[in-house]
This record gives sequence, structure tokens and C-alpha cells, in this order.
Amino acid sequence: MQPHTVTAHAAPPDEARRRRRVRRSALLFALIAVAFYFGFILMTLVRGWK
Amino acid sequence: MAEPHAHAAPHEEHGHKPHGWRRWVYATNHKDIGTMYLIFSCTMFFIGGGMAMLIRLELFKPGLQFFDPQFFNSLTTLHALIMIFGAIMPAWVGLANWMIPMQVGAPDMALPRLNNFSFWILPFAFTLLLSSLFVPGGAPAGGWTMYPPLVLQTGASFPMLIFSIHLMGASSILGAINVIVTIMNMRAPALTLLRLPLFVWTWLITAYLLIAVMPVLAGAVTMLLTDHFFGTTFFTAAGGGDPVMFQHIFWFFGHPEVYILILPAFGIISEVVPTFSRKPLFGYEAMVYAVASIAFLSFIVWAHHMFTVGMPLAAQLFFMLSTMLIAVPTGVKVFNWTATMWKGSLTFEPPMLFALAFLFLFTIGGFSGLMLAIVPADYQYQDTYFVVAHFHYVLVPGSIFGIMAGVYYWLPKWTGRMYDLKLATWHFWLSAIFVNVLFFPQHFLGLAGMPRRIPDYAVQFTDWNMVSSIGAFGFGLAQLLFPYVILKCVRSGARIGNKAWEGAHGLEWELPSPPPYHSWTTPPSDAVIARGAAH
Repeated sequence: MQPHTVTAHAAPPDEARRRRRVRRSALLFALIAVAFYFGFILMTLVRGWK
Repeated sequence: MAEPHAHAAPHEEHGHKPHGWRRWVYATNHKDIGTMYLIFSCTMFFIGGGMAMLIRLELFKPGLQFFDPQFFNSLTTLHALIMIFGAIMPAWVGLANWMIPMQVGAPDMALPRLNNFSFWILPFAFTLLLSSLFVPGGAPAGGWTMYPPLVLQTGASFPMLIFSIHLMGASSILGAINVIVTIMNMRAPALTLLRLPLFVWTWLITAYLLIAVMPVLAGAVTMLLTDHFFGTTFFTAAGGGDPVMFQHIFWFFGHPEVYILILPAFGIISEVVPTFSRKPLFGYEAMVYAVASIAFLSFIVWAHHMFTVGMPLAAQLFFMLSTMLIAVPTGVKVFNWTATMWKGSLTFEPPMLFALAFLFLFTIGGFSGLMLAIVPADYQYQDTYFVVAHFHYVLVPGSIFGIMAGVYYWLPKWTGRMYDLKLATWHFWLSAIFVNVLFFPQHFLGLAGMPRRIPDYAVQFTDWNMVSSIGAFGFGLAQLLFPYVILKCVRSGARIGNKAWEGAHGLEWELPSPPPYHSWTTPPSDAVIARGAAH
């Protein structure tokens, strides 16, 4: 994707900061997905041991 | 209107646009990926639909006509998996890819390479699933719900089923991450959350649902895999496992999945109805909160799918009442769509026709859902054709008609050409009539006691099965018009301007038709947003 340019009428968001935010939130959601995956397996395991 | 052109035009001419097969294989452009998703979805719709035709062919008369029961069960299993994961979900992701960047004032999706990856996983997943038809023991036949211990008896196709589900799940999760990140980080600075178009809102909430529940399905099928191959007994009673636990986990995924399939349709109807009523959407904020409430409630109703396995009275009451509670926000939505049309200047172009049919027929599906939520009644309806009628009313005139409304609404924007309105109207009327001929009699069959997932039935069910099958063949044939209308539009449709529809509002209509390769290379100004965001 090409770098995004900005116009005068919109406040120019800091591109590097936005990229960091994009990367961080993508990683956060990936982590949440992984946590749900292992969490449910773990929950079933724990329930089986009772 | 001049403003977006001024920014868009130079970028359309830049030399970064790849050509030939590379354009598609290495695609990172949201429109190219959206197009690939939509073509893939359409292909799967016809493959899954072909299987539905075979199912209805077998059920045209009592007795075994064409297939052995094992293959019939494979057909029902594959039909469901293909329609859910191959047709409807990719269609929504395709529409999201096309529309979200345009509607939020972004040049593209936030993570274009991830976008490419999430699409290209899908052809492999479905090739794997479909090739299971050719392995010893045949394709999976235990139903799309994959309940153990039945599913553990699947032959050589079992690992193919599990791996393909993992791939589909991974694709959906990556797509959902991309959607959330794009909406939260890439939207135009002046476009606040409560100015977002409803399609974007419904997709944002859908994406959160996907991230929460697809890993749960992946976890459940991983445990099935280890039960089958590695000697674990998560769901095997003989080893101390609990098969009912699988059902709980599956439906913790499965019920929100239903909303994943329908929420983006709510968004599309909320775009289409105001456009063809020439009025702003009634109760925009209420619509947003209603969608959020439906999504929240979808997490606490799962056990209504399994009342008959037995559970404490308190649990039955809880799941019955929480399920009925969903009727409240859904009622708010239906009321608001109706109120939007009230005293509007209505016209009935194909997107509006599909939206109106959605409104009537999805509501029928909702009402039969309420009937199924009542525990003692559910004991009678469980595993009958009434359930089949219910969820097909939700998914065909619900999700599929929603997709068709969306495609017919935005197709002129995508192609820069208007399609044959007469032919599309024919497509609508044939679909709307035959979908009722197909599914309405299944209510009667279910109430009379015909069980689902059987290739043969008692003779008293013959008449309505014949009617249902005739409806299926009519509906299936009518769908051939859909790709024809699209192809005809792409090749020879009359050129249109920025706005295909007189009453349309939204940032996408501020862009030229077809839109430039990178949608909004500069964020739209406040004035453009204010003009577009007239809810």
C-alpha cells in the first residue's frame, strides 16, 4: 500500500504513530484469538480432571 | 463532488497497479481482493446450491431414489459447510473489502498483505474439503455440527475436514482483525464512530464476534482431532470425556456464528432502505445499539440449540428467556426500517425489492425462532424440518437476499455501469416466489413430524416434499440470472456518474464510478463527510 498523504483540511495524523497503532492493535486481537483457542481447550481439560 | 476526483485521479494513473495474473495472486488492493472474495463466494454458492438441488432431488419422492444414505448425509454436511463458510462469509468479507475503505475515507485496508493471505487460504481450504468426496470412506457425513461420537467414525476424510475448518477459521480471524484495525485506525479524522455508515458498524461488531468465536470452533475441532488420532478422550465417554461438552463448546461458537452471517445484512438493509425511501434512516443510534445488543446476547443463548440433551430447569429457563430477549433489539431494527419507509418517496429498484423481501421473510424466520426458543415446544420441533425451515428463512431470504441487495446496490459503483434493471427485477421475483415455495412447506413437514437429515421419509410427507423440491429447482434456476446480470453489466451496462441512485448518501457515492484504484488517497474533508453521512 502506498503511504497516505493528507490534505490541509484534515489534521495530519502522524503516519509512523498510526502504523504502530495498526500493528499493535492487530497483534492484540491476534493474541485475544489465541487466548480463546487455548482457553477453551484448557477449560475442557480442567473440567475433565475434576 | 470535484474534490475527491482531484485527489483520486493522479493516483489512478500511477504505475503501481500490477497486471495479469500477478494482479490477482499478489493482490493487496482492497477492491481486487474484494472482487476475488465475491467471485469465490459465488462459485461456492453454486457448488453448495448444486448439492442442495441433489438433496431436494432425492427427497422429491419417498424411498431411496438416487443416492445411498451415507452419500446423502455427506451432501447435507458439505452443503452446510460450503454455504456457511464458503458462500455467505466470504461474500460478507468481499463486500467489506470493497466498501469499508470507501465508506470510512481510507485508501485501502490497514493490512493489505494480511488481506491477500486471508483470501488465498480459502481456495485451499475448500479444495481440501471438496476433495474429501474422493477419499476412501467418502466425505464427512456427520453433519456440519460435527457432534462426537458420530463424527469420530468418519473415515479418511476426517483430518481433511478438521484441517479445512482450521484454515477457514484462520482466514476469518485474519479478515476480522483487518476490518477492526481498518475501521479504528484508518477512518477519516472527522468521521467519528457515530457517523459511520450502518454497514461499517455491523461489520465492526461482526468482526469482534469472529475474533471471539472462531478460535473456539478451532479449539473444539482440535480436541476432536486429538480424540481421533492421539488417544485423548475430551469428548469420549469411555475415557471419562463428555460428548455433551462438545455441543456446549460448538454452540458457544455456533450461535454467534448465526449473527456473523446476518449482522452485515442488517447493515446493508440499513443502507438500501433509506436510499430508496429518500429519507434518512430512522433511529440511527438505536440501530447501532440494537446491533451491539444482539451481538452481546448471542453469547448467552447457545444452549437453546440443545434443550433436548437435558439440563437443569434453571438453565432451560435462562436460555429460553435470554433467547426471547433477542426479539427486543431485533424488533427495534424492524420497526426502524419500517419507520424509515413511512411517508417516504419509495421506489422499487432491485436492491429495495430484495431489502423488502428480507424484511418480511427474515421476520418469519425470526418468529419461528421464537417458537423454537420455547422449551416444551422445542422438545417437539427438535431435529424436524421445522428447524430446517426456520434457519433457511433466516439464511436465504435473510443473509443471501441481504448479499444480493448489497451487490445490486453497489454494483454500479464498482463497475461504473448500470445493470439490466428489468432482468434483475425478474431475478428478484423468481427468487422471492420460489424461496417461499421451497421453504414454507418445510414448516408443515416439521410440524407433522418429518425428521431432518434423512434421505427417505414416510409417504404422508410426499406432497409437501414435492412442492418443496419444485421450489428448490425454481430457486436454483433463478439464481443463474444473477451472474448473467453481473456479467452483462460489466460488459455492456450504460455508464453512470458518481451516484447510481438518486437518494444515496455515503462517502462511497462521493467517489467516481468506478472508484480509483486507491479509494481515498487523501481523507475526505468535513464538508464531504457531512454531505455523505446524512443518515
